[in-house]
Amino acid sequence: MKKNNTPVKILCYAGSKATKWLAKNSTYLIFIFLIFLFSSVKLIAQTNQVTGIVKDEKGKAIEGASVLVKGSATGTPTAADGSFTISVIDNAILVFTYAGMEPKEVSVKGKSIIDVLLSQQASAMSDVVIVAYGTQSKRAVTGAIQTLNAKELENLPVTQVTQQLQGKLAGVQITQSTGKPGQGMDIRIRGQSSISAGYQPLYVIDGFPLDQGQGSDINNINPDDIESISVLKDAAASSLYGSRAAAGVVLITTKHAKAGKSSININSYYGMQKVPQKGRPPMMNGVEFAQFEQDVFKAQNLPVPADYQNPSQYAGKGTDWYNILLRNAPIQNYSLTLSSSKDKFSSTVIGSFFNQDGILLNSNFKRYSLRINTEYKANDRLRFGFTAAPTYTINSSPNSDGLLWSGGIIQSAILTSPLAPYKNADGTLPLNATGPGLFPNPNWYNVVQQASNVSNNTRLLASTFGELEITKDLKFKSSIGIDLGSNLYKQFNPSSVGGIFNPPPTQTNATQNNYSNYQWTIENLLTYNKSFGKHNIDVLAGYTSQRFKSNFNSIYAYNFPDDRIQTLNVAGNSKVNSDIQSWTLASVVGRINYNYNQKYFVSGGIRRDGSSRFAPNTKYGNFPYVSAGWILSEENFMKNIPVVSFIKIRGSCGLGGNNNIGNYNYYAGMSASNYTLNGALAPGKVIGNLGNNNLSWEKTSQLDIGFDLSILKGRVSFTYDYYSKITSGLLFNVAVPRASGYSNILVNLGQFNYWGHEFSISSQNIVGALKWNTDFNISFNKNKVVKLGSTDAPIYGDYNITQVGQPIAQFYGYVFDGVYINQADFNKSPHANDSQVGTVKMKDLNGAAVGDGKPNGKIDANDQKAIGNPAPKFIFGITNTVSFMNFDFTVVAAGEYGNHVMNATQEYTQNMDGVFNVTKDVANRWKSEQDPGDGIHPRVVVGTPLARFHNSRWVSDASYLTIKNIALGYTIPLHNAKYIHSARVYGSIQQAFVFTSYNGANPEVNNYGGNPINQGIDLTTFPIPRTFTFGVNIGL
Amino acid sequence: MKLKIITAGFLLLTAVSCKKSFLDLPPETSISSTSFFKTTNDFTQAINGVYAGLRGLYETGYVMGEMRSDNAYLVYKSNDRGNQNITKEQVASFTDDAQNPYSNSKYYSCYNIISRANAVLGTIDAAQLDEAFKKNIKGQAEFLRAFAYFELVQYFGSVPLYLQVVATQAAASLPQSSVADVYKQIIRDATDAAAILPAPSVQVKGAVSSGSAYMLLGYVHMTLKNYPAAETVLKSVTGLGYSLMGNYADIFNPANKNNTESIFEVQYMQGASSVQSDFAYMFIPAVTDTKPITGVAGNNQTFGGWNTPTADLIAAYETGDKRKNASIAMGYTDGSGTFIPQPYIIKYLHPHAVFNNTDDDWPVYRLADALLLLAECLNEENKAADALTLLNQVRIRAGLTSSAVTDQGQLRDIIAHERRVELAFENHRWLDLVRTGKALTIMNAFGVLQKQTYSYLLPNTYNVTVNRLIFPIPFDEIVLNPKLIQNPGYN
Repeated sequence: MKKNNTPVKILCYAGSKATKWLAKNSTYLIFIFLIFLFSSVKLIAQTNQVTGIVKDEKGKAIEGASVLVKGSATGTPTAADGSFTISVIDNAILVFTYAGMEPKEVSVKGKSIIDVLLSQQASAMSDVVIVAYGTQSKRAVTGAIQTLNAKELENLPVTQVTQQLQGKLAGVQITQSTGKPGQGMDIRIRGQSSISAGYQPLYVIDGFPLDQGQGSDINNINPDDIESISVLKDAAASSLYGSRAAAGVVLITTKHAKAGKSSININSYYGMQKVPQKGRPPMMNGVEFAQFEQDVFKAQNLPVPADYQNPSQYAGKGTDWYNILLRNAPIQNYSLTLSSSKDKFSSTVIGSFFNQDGILLNSNFKRYSLRINTEYKANDRLRFGFTAAPTYTINSSPNSDGLLWSGGIIQSAILTSPLAPYKNADGTLPLNATGPGLFPNPNWYNVVQQASNVSNNTRLLASTFGELEITKDLKFKSSIGIDLGSNLYKQFNPSSVGGIFNPPPTQTNATQNNYSNYQWTIENLLTYNKSFGKHNIDVLAGYTSQRFKSNFNSIYAYNFPDDRIQTLNVAGNSKVNSDIQSWTLASVVGRINYNYNQKYFVSGGIRRDGSSRFAPNTKYGNFPYVSAGWILSEENFMKNIPVVSFIKIRGSCGLGGNNNIGNYNYYAGMSASNYTLNGALAPGKVIGNLGNNNLSWEKTSQLDIGFDLSILKGRVSFTYDYYSKITSGLLFNVAVPRASGYSNILVNLGQFNYWGHEFSISSQNIVGALKWNTDFNISFNKNKVVKLGSTDAPIYGDYNITQVGQPIAQFYGYVFDGVYINQADFNKSPHANDSQVGTVKMKDLNGAAVGDGKPNGKIDANDQKAIGNPAPKFIFGITNTVSFMNFDFTVVAAGEYGNHVMNATQEYTQNMDGVFNVTKDVANRWKSEQDPGDGIHPRVVVGTPLARFHNSRWVSDASYLTIKNIALGYTIPLHNAKYIHSARVYGSIQQAFVFTSYNGANPEVNNYGGNPINQGIDLTTFPIPRTFTFGVNIGL
Repeated sequence: MKLKIITAGFLLLTAVSCKKSFLDLPPETSISSTSFFKTTNDFTQAINGVYAGLRGLYETGYVMGEMRSDNAYLVYKSNDRGNQNITKEQVASFTDDAQNPYSNSKYYSCYNIISRANAVLGTIDAAQLDEAFKKNIKGQAEFLRAFAYFELVQYFGSVPLYLQVVATQAAASLPQSSVADVYKQIIRDATDAAAILPAPSVQVKGAVSSGSAYMLLGYVHMTLKNYPAAETVLKSVTGLGYSLMGNYADIFNPANKNNTESIFEVQYMQGASSVQSDFAYMFIPAVTDTKPITGVAGNNQTFGGWNTPTADLIAAYETGDKRKNASIAMGYTDGSGTFIPQPYIIKYLHPHAVFNNTDDDWPVYRLADALLLLAECLNEENKAADALTLLNQVRIRAGLTSSAVTDQGQLRDIIAHERRVELAFENHRWLDLVRTGKALTIMNAFGVLQKQTYSYLLPNTYNVTVNRLIFPIPFDEIVLNPKLIQNPGYN
């Protein structure tokens, strides 16, 4: 960063100091806030008596309403006749609140009698929610939709929108699989899965569905832009998105100016990220490792190299490879929002700069974003809107995650000898880090800093619409949206980088990928809204089409003369690769909502999609739904149960699709396979894959039954949903015998069933001066594989199996059975090919075939079985919000129960060949019949292969409860401020505590990301930091 | 009015046609298989694609062809117990199982060639093209299909016969055919190929000719012990104008690709076109710097050190045999000037520009092989004198004296020995041992020596039984295709 003293830099510097201090002294901070609290109480000194009566709209006195002096703890409840008496200072403001009523503020200004009329709240139940192709009053919604507003997200200063949603949505599993800045969020609605079509929901931003491939990256959407998020879970809510609706839909609405209001808001925060001690890999230190290596050499009757002869000399020395790759790193965000709505013109402009250094060296994510949302009312019948939202992100992301064989820096580093220095005594960095008997390795401390992996992403989302009110009831809206993206990825590996088995100095090489895409969406919607007496009808008809195209070019260049010039022109050789992808979608949508007297609701709709992704036989698909709702509390017989203030029963069923299978999969294309004849290239072509002209989308039919209940005048509301989904025609890359010449064929054969229960409770535990709200949700999602391909043959992932009658993607492997303690144990136990006394023992379950249940004394591939389920039994989230005077305090927790993780990193961190550093517990291994160790860790060197196969010892329960966020905010009282109308400061801790029994770093880990049949595998990932943040929100 | 125009403009702009073509988007980066297989250019590319499948077959063919035999072993990497190493050792020491990636790869590579050949054979007859061209393409495809099935039947025994392009999931699983049926199919294809393929003198250099097909038939008949039939076809080979190269080492020099002795060789070309070979780098010792050995710097530690000549083979060369030094280097001088006595194969090591990127072809069939095979055949037919003439052509070229032994049993051993040294590291040894019925005795005896030499070999290694003369059907294939039956001893 250049040292120029712009105000931002100064602010940033000050913020950085403050936060470092904050991180160290969070307890003091709370203490100081408390002092603030008491000092503000003292400010209220001179007092007047004020009396009055609080009534409702019908003139009925309200008992128990809260009368509170704004910005203080002073308050009183109203008596049975609605009366109150309170002592206040002259310029005080009184705040009147009562459950189910709109709060009201009255300025005292010398008055001694203040009578107040509270009106019925435009309460939660009459809020407007964003639904597919429109909005609807929450009361009228008959589908399963959950909405979050900006207000509920503001305390979560995070990089990605999806991080803000963790723990807040019933039935939505959101996990963070890696701590890489700007990456790794995985969202799954109602346990949805698939085999080859993914399970990520469709994202729709201000009405425009994003591409679900590479372009679906919503991480470059600035969280500050967002006004509300609606998650469409059931068919009634999502079916209008047709062939893309099966995995659910996330509707994101951005901020638009509110009528008659102008405002300027500044939001800024600065935070410091740290990696907690818990979950760090417990690798051997120098002394332990030298001893281990000494034993390895002795076990082979080889002379012990000098380095390992005297382990005790390394006491207190050696390299903690994990630690030296990490740092404490700042995160910062500056965002300015201007919003104005006057006369015919309204506009919101949001500009943001976000900058996060990762806690791994050399990792960074920067985002510059701008959004302009404007609307122009030409006359009372016609309005236009324009939106432009450019973002530019720069992401420096070292190859940190995954197996050492694929260059995963973190795993490679922890497996490196602690005796190898990362830095020489003179401060220079050694190129290599290895030792006697070990593999040649580069110095990972050098690699992480020297190898560059930078992605520059430019994106423009823009749209325009015109809406014409043809009659009072009939509206026509036409819109066009574009999504332009361009990504430049540059990787440069100087000669000092290399890899395992390929120690530096090595060939310098570089990769440059250029990806660009455009997508346009056109939408024409006609809506008709009319009431005939008690009959209310609302009709939608529309036509929409979409086209996407991307171009990809990749250049791999090698044979650079040196490391000084990094551009590809100086490379001696290069290889080029290209790809073009496109798809089109043309659809009609229609929907009718009808209700009788706002009491009985029915809704029906359909989408017909035509898609380029499917063969002529199956190009078109229909996705209908129907739903109904009944507001029971409107019935007379319910009036006798006053405790129930609202109850609605609803049900829906319908169809959604999943077309997310790539663009040309029905098509049998020729691919290149070249030969050479007599010294010249002979271009060759072969049939690349088995085509399938009947390939179609996956269809998910879904039934949802639920109710919304609110009791005690709306203080407690409760929502329940039961759902049952059947995904049939699973797009299924079914493995075929490779003797056919192919390894698989994509077919629509397979069925998954899902069902579950979702509960959410929202409770105002305490109202009045001290407010305490609790939102709690819990969901039980289950799934079962019903059919797979034509033969029901299981599908194997790298570590998982998906088989009929069982849950999707269970772990697959041997059942660990200890080690052969001694010869007697060996003699009576089953054996693998190279078993010996002291090597690991697996259970002998089967003989000639998997699952035949006939042990044959041999441990072989047939003895593998399902050994754990990565899917949780239930997921839950709880948010507590306490506010008192000007303070607000929020704690968000999210958790899962009953999920397993396979810590496959143990294949390496407990490798017994003596070529890697290992975990401390390996010291308790089998050494001899007299010293058999803990019965878990086998002997070194010989007979080790079996221990490396996937087995139940790597599987562990990864239930967790994570305190995702603790935030304490203080709204600064500004009674007479002329220029500032609101100011709030807050401090927060994210990822504050993780309660889990999982033995790895992150119980949410999932190295295969959104790959549905490879779930819950830990191959070592970027740790998730704990972040201490300090922020301000200022309104001008 | 103005607003109406704007509104109308909006409508026009957004009224995208519903034409069907909007939804028809074929890939822009590849051609559909239904519009392929039409022109001469299409079929030329398609047959090249079949040949390209040979690369997969030969990339690790040495593991089963040589390391399984007494010719070659490996440099044990005690600190790298990775699966890719262990499974190679298991092939060598007869402890491999149905998940062995090298035997699996052999199986898959053969069927890759077969399915590609099927695609050609299924479309060539209907194509409206020049008849001579069609015959040539068809003959090559038939040869390659027969060649792949011959590999399969020798290494795996009874295998399924796929003779058409698989277009549906249902057609992808076939049961095994009997060994006899597989041989019938091989003979049918190879006989037809021999009849329709051009002679080597007129065929495109590097492509298979009628000579290649006769040679394949010769091997088939020898394996089936149809000696008269073998004699006929092998004599067809020797009558096609092939001649021995004067100097043994020149046969393998990339400067002499497809030379007068060559009957069929898998073609490679160094450079950036991804059609290079890299055998040399697997066969030399695993070192951090290959420059002293290959002349090009690089690190082959993870993949070098395989297929190393055994002491048994080195001892088998007679004094003065020129083939020894053309095939084997007894060690190398490293960067510090120290001589490291680690024998390795140099047959495929010739000057090249880039690390792990060589120009060397793989000799599949060559005249010396045909002569020795014919000699073996004639000896079995009690025509020792004729056999000796052929044998001695090969011996004299190698700088050795003629043999005059006419005892059938002794001559049988002499010819087998001659084949061993003449064809060393050309993936013939293991199959020769099996064909001649010597595998059990020779390999069990060799195993005893091995265990004496290498203390790490476990007691269950080199337990060579009849079951071990063929390899297991890949585990995954058995799982996916319930019609398949695993070879005995591999369950």
